[in-house]
Amino acid sequence: MEIRLSSILLAAALLSGCGWFHRGEKPQNQVVVEEPQSDPSIVEPQVNRREVTTPKIKAKDVELGAYFGALSIQDFGVNPVYGARLAYHVSEDVFFEGLVATSKAGTTSLEDEFPQITVVSNAGRHFTYYDLDLGYNVLPGEIFLGRGRAFNSQLYVTVGMGDVKFAETDQFALNFGVGERLLITDWLAMHLDVRDHVFETSLTGRTKNVDNIEATVGLTTFF
Amino acid sequence: MRRLLASVLLMQALCVNFACAGERLLQLVVTQPFLEMRSGPGRGYPVVYVVGRDETVTVLYSRTDWYKVRAPRGQEGWTRRDELALTALPSGAPAPIPPYPDFTSHRWELGGGYGVYNRENLVTAYADYGLTDSIDIEAVVQQAFGTLDNRVVASIGLRHTFIPEWKWFSPTAGIGTAYQHIADKVPPAPLESNNQMAYVSLGARGFITRRFMWRADWRHYVVFNNLNVYEDLEEWKFGLAVFF
Repeated sequence: MEIRLSSILLAAALLSGCGWFHRGEKPQNQVVVEEPQSDPSIVEPQVNRREVTTPKIKAKDVELGAYFGALSIQDFGVNPVYGARLAYHVSEDVFFEGLVATSKAGTTSLEDEFPQITVVSNAGRHFTYYDLDLGYNVLPGEIFLGRGRAFNSQLYVTVGMGDVKFAETDQFALNFGVGERLLITDWLAMHLDVRDHVFETSLTGRTKNVDNIEATVGLTTFF
Repeated sequence: MRRLLASVLLMQALCVNFACAGERLLQLVVTQPFLEMRSGPGRGYPVVYVVGRDETVTVLYSRTDWYKVRAPRGQEGWTRRDELALTALPSGAPAPIPPYPDFTSHRWELGGGYGVYNRENLVTAYADYGLTDSIDIEAVVQQAFGTLDNRVVASIGLRHTFIPEWKWFSPTAGIGTAYQHIADKVPPAPLESNNQMAYVSLGARGFITRRFMWRADWRHYVVFNNLNVYEDLEEWKFGLAVFF
């Protein structure tokens, strides 16, 4: 019994002593980070990294152009009109449009009959307007010219308001229009428009609403 | 005027198409079974060509929701935004087709509308820039047409949108300064034809579709004059706008 106890104590002493001999060794489960050693045989590349850029897609939603035609100024005859148009297409159906145009009124039948009577001074015969319109493409389609040629087109309606300056006075005017946009190419369009500018005036005696209908042809480009 | 219009057309014709020469264009690879190309930028135009999977198309430009593309063999046509968005770059990355601008965090607005200013018909146009999602700076130019006088009013101010996350209807309030010019129509002439003003406003805005929105506004102006009288004006207006 005594021998057995002493052999157990001896074995325990030997096992505990084993740890002493391993004191200087590194534990095996630790990652050892080696110091980087510069190798003269490895050459660092001296190439500049190239920036790769994706080209942007250009949006061509804006339409700019000019038009001319005939404007019937109620009681003052039919006269040439010249204008400029700027439009922004919000969707394939809806667009906003701004118009600026000028014309010069003729004489009334009263002035023709009695030349000594002047209804409007010469300076006041200038008829200028601006319109802010909302447009809707109601009938998009194609127009065929012969057998081999088709042009995209849109029949549209517009409604808007603006200012008419006539007889040296600015008047609030509503306007209603219908037009056809014929795309000669995807960037060049021809317009045929009929538009009515309605405003209130008392130039010829009593106060009344006058309709001033114009028919114009124009060219626009998309950019 | 005629010369100006002729110049506008000529400049447009010169710069619109020739500016594109030498431009780098986007190439996209079709990843779906096919990509349809239509004869025009609209839902009703007929399909004139179909590009197959793994073929590359060149994107020329866009108009509203449609993109003009060129097929490998040179055919050109229009393809829809949502169909082109399913293609990929040659590197395999998704096609960089920009999504619709987010209404709740958009930056720019351009719009116009109708209103009543001091019981006169009002035509209004405005530009608006969002400093944050809820605070905008807005510049407005408008013309009022009355029986006694016409007025041009220009204003600049700040507007707060209370809950920008509310898409369809969100109340707003604003404050700013304005300038009005009075053009007399019927004598006697106004005692002062130019005034500076200050205003407060209450209003609302809402989303309609895609890049399209509405806006309504009521304003109360205080007119600064040298006449020793308190003068104030009221205005309301409703407008439509596009946002970017």
